[in-house]
Amino acid sequence: MIVAVTASIRPLAAPARRDAAVGVAGVVVALVAWEVLARSLEGAFVLAAPTAVVVAIVDNGPLLGRALAATGSTALAGFVIGNLAAVALAGLAAAWPRSQRTVTGLALIVVCLPLVATAPLLRVLLGPGDGPQIALAALAVYYTTLIPLLVGLRAVPDTWLDLVRVAGRGAVTALVVVRARASVPYLAAGLQIAAPAAFLGAMVGEFTGAERGLGVLTIRASRDLDVDLTWALATIAAAVSMLAYAIVGMIGRAATGGQPPTILAAPRIAAGPGRVRRTLASTASAVVATIVLWWGGIILLGITPFVARTPLDVVGIFAGTRDGGLTRDALFAALCDTAVYVVPGYIAGLAAGVLLAVLIVLAPGASGAIMPVAVALRSVPIVTSAPLIVLLLGRGSLGAITLIAVMVFFPTLVACLHGLRQAPGQVLDVMAVYATAPWRVVVRARIPAMLPAFFAAARMSVPAAVLAVTVVEWLATGTGIGALMARSASLSNYDALAGAVVLVTAVAALGYAAVGAIETRMLARYAPEQAS
Amino acid sequence: MAPDRRAGVTVTVDAATKVYPDGTEAVAPITLTLDPGRTTVLVGPSGCGKSTLLRMIAGLESATAGEVLVDGEPPTIVQRRGELAVAFQDPSLLPWRSVAANIALARELARLDRDDERVAELIDLVGLTGFAATKPAALSGGMRQRAAIARALATDPRLLLLDEPFGAVDELTRQQLARELPALWEGGGTTTLLVTHSVAEAVRLADRVIVLSPRPARVLADIPIKLPRPRRDSDPAADRLERAVVEALERGHAGGDAAQTGG
Ligand SMILES: Nc1ncnc2c1ncn2[C@@H]1O[C@H](COP(=O)(O)OP(=O)(O)O)[C@@H](O)[C@H]1O
Ligand SMILES: [Mg+2]
Repeated sequence: MIVAVTASIRPLAAPARRDAAVGVAGVVVALVAWEVLARSLEGAFVLAAPTAVVVAIVDNGPLLGRALAATGSTALAGFVIGNLAAVALAGLAAAWPRSQRTVTGLALIVVCLPLVATAPLLRVLLGPGDGPQIALAALAVYYTTLIPLLVGLRAVPDTWLDLVRVAGRGAVTALVVVRARASVPYLAAGLQIAAPAAFLGAMVGEFTGAERGLGVLTIRASRDLDVDLTWALATIAAAVSMLAYAIVGMIGRAATGGQPPTILAAPRIAAGPGRVRRTLASTASAVVATIVLWWGGIILLGITPFVARTPLDVVGIFAGTRDGGLTRDALFAALCDTAVYVVPGYIAGLAAGVLLAVLIVLAPGASGAIMPVAVALRSVPIVTSAPLIVLLLGRGSLGAITLIAVMVFFPTLVACLHGLRQAPGQVLDVMAVYATAPWRVVVRARIPAMLPAFFAAARMSVPAAVLAVTVVEWLATGTGIGALMARSASLSNYDALAGAVVLVTAVAALGYAAVGAIETRMLARYAPEQAS
Repeated sequence: MAPDRRAGVTVTVDAATKVYPDGTEAVAPITLTLDPGRTTVLVGPSGCGKSTLLRMIAGLESATAGEVLVDGEPPTIVQRRGELAVAFQDPSLLPWRSVAANIALARELARLDRDDERVAELIDLVGLTGFAATKPAALSGGMRQRAAIARALATDPRLLLLDEPFGAVDELTRQQLARELPALWEGGGTTTLLVTHSVAEAVRLADRVIVLSPRPARVLADIPIKLPRPRRDSDPAADRLERAVVEALERGHAGGDAAQTGG
C-alpha cells in the first residue's frame, strides 16, 4: 500500500550527478550480489538470478505482454475514475468548507477497508469481467490524490483570498481563480503516488478470479512453484510501478515547472479548546455518512440479501443475536493472531525507517543515492513483494513481520529524510559556527524538525500495515483475520466477511486516531512551533 | 439614484474597535470620516493597528464594537459593486500569472471588461515597462509592490486602500511614484486611504494626516495638509507640517510612558 507521503527529490544539480552515478553503481552492485546469491542458493527454489529472470521474461514474452496490457489498461481506467472522484470530492470540500471533515473522515474509512475482503465482494457484485479490477484500482488511488489536493486547496496565503473578498466574490470564485491553480503542484504530487497504487489495485482485483493479467499469472506461477516466472512477474510489476511513478512525476514537473511539494498526510485537527468536541463531531458525521452510503448502496443497487449485510445485521453479529456470538468470537480470535504480526512489524518498520534516515543524514554523501532508490522501491506493489518474501523467508511469522515492516519502512524513511532536511538553515549555521558535533546537531535541530514528518508517516502507515498483514495472511501464512476473510469469501460466509470488514476498518481507523493523539501530545511537547 | 461612478465614497468610522480573538486589542474606539475624493494618510508606530483599521474599512475584519460604513452601507456593499481596491502590505501576486495577468485579475474579479490598453498604461505608469509578461518570481520586492499598486488602480476604484505600498520600493523609485501616482486618484473620483511610516511621504501625498497612538490605535492628531498641488519637492510649509506630525508621534510615545508609570 502506498501512502500519501511523497518527497521532493532535490533538483539535479552538479552534486546530484555524482549522486546519480553512485546510485547506478549501487544498482549494479545489488544486481551482482543478487546473481551470486541466487546461484549459491540454486536448488532451494527461493531466488531466481537476474539472468534467469531475463530468460523467463524472454521465453514468456507474448504471454507476459498480453498480461501486462490487460493489467495496465484496467489500472489506467481505475486511475482515471479514482482521480476524477478525488477531484470532485476535493472541489466539494473547497467550495463548501463545512463538508470537509466529513469528506476526509469518509475517505479515511474507505482507505481502511480491507482489500482482501472488498476484492472478493466486488467480484461477487460485479461479475467476472474487468469491473472489480477497475473498482479496486480506483479505490486505491482516490485517497492518495484526495489528501494532497485538499492540502493544496488550503495552502493558499490569506491575502490571495482577501483579493477575492475585497472584490465581493465568494468561495466558488476563490476556488476557481485561486485555489484550483494553487493546488496543481499538490495534485501532481498525489497523482505520482497514485500511479503505482492503481497498478496495485488492479493486480489485487485480478487475484480474485480475473481471466487475464499479471495478477492471474502471479497466482499461477506461485502455485506451480515456478520461481523464475514468479521473480520475472515481480520484476515486471515493480518496473512498471516505478516507471509509472517516474513518468507521472516528470509530467507533473513539466506541468508545474518545479518540484512537487511535500505532502505528508491529512492535516490533524488543530489543538485547542473544543478539539475533543470537534473530533467527536467529525467522527460521528463520517460514521453516519458511511452508514448512509452502505445501507443506501445496498438498497439502490438492489444487492441480493444472500450477499448484502446491513449495518443492523453487523450489529447483530457482534451482539451475538444472529448466531450466538460464534462469528464474533472467531473474528476476535483471528484479530489476536493478526496482532502478533502487525504490531511488531509496524514498530520494526518505523524504527528501521527513522534509524536509517538518521544514519543517512550523518553520512550526507549517501543520501543522494539512497533517496531516489527508496522513493522508487516504495512504489513496488505489496502483492508483488509478498510472494517473493514468502519464497525467501517461508510462510512463517518472520516473513509476515518482515513484509509489514518493509511496507512501513519505506514511507517512514522517505518522510523522515525529508523532515530531517527541513531543519531551519539559520539554526544549522549557528551550530556550524560553534563547531557543534554532528550527532548533537541531529538531536538538537534535526530530530525536532523531523517529528511532524515522522508522525505523518506513522499515521498513514497504520492502514498500510493493516493492508500488508491481511494480504500476507491471505497469500502466505494462512492465519489471522486476512486468511479468515479469504476463507469466508470462498465459502460465501457473508456474515463473517461483513463482520471482518467492519472490525478491520474500525481497528485501522482507531489505530490511525491513536497515533494522531500521540502525535498531538509529542508535538506540543517537543516541537511546539510545529503543532498546529 | 445610482451612485455616480466618478465620485469618491464617504467612509465613516464610528467608535469602531477591534479586539482579536486571542485578546489582542488592536484598535481602541476610533471615530473618523474620510471625505469623498480626498487622500487620507495614516501614520503610526509599527504594530499600532494601522493595517487592522484598513482591513476593517475594507470589510475584511469586522469591528468588535462600533461600526464602519461606506456611503452609509456596510463595506461588503462597496465590495460587491467592484468599487473597492486594496493594495496589501504583502504584494500577494498570484505566482502563476504574469504581471499583466495579475493586473488584469482585478478587472476580472470586479466583473469589468477586459482592457489590455489600460493594463499596459498602468504597467508603464508604475515603471514596469517591458515586464508585462514576467512572472512575479522574477521580480524584485519593489517591482512586485509596484505591480500590486497597478492592480489596485486597474478598476478605477471609488475607494482605494493602500497599506505601506512603497515599503520595499527603492528610494529613487519611491520618490518618483510619490510624484506621479497621486494624479491617478486625485481627480476627485477616488477616496484614498494610505498607510505609511514615512512622514515626508505622508505630507507629500495627503490632504490630511491622521497620527495614531501605539497599540491599541487611537487618533492622536488629525492634521490637514493644505498645500497646493502638484506638490513641490521642497517646501518650507511642508517641513513645518512634517515637524507637527513627528511631534504628534512623539507625544504618543510619551503619553504611553506616562500612562504606564501611572502619571
Ligand atoms: N489576526 C490577528 N490575530 C491576533 N493579533 C493580530 C492579528 N493581526 C494583527 N494582530 C496584532 O494586532 C496588532 C496590530 O497589528 P497591525 O494592524 O498589523 O499593525 P500595523 O499595521 O500598524 O503594524 C499587532 O500587535 C499585531 O500583532
Ligand atoms: Mg501593517
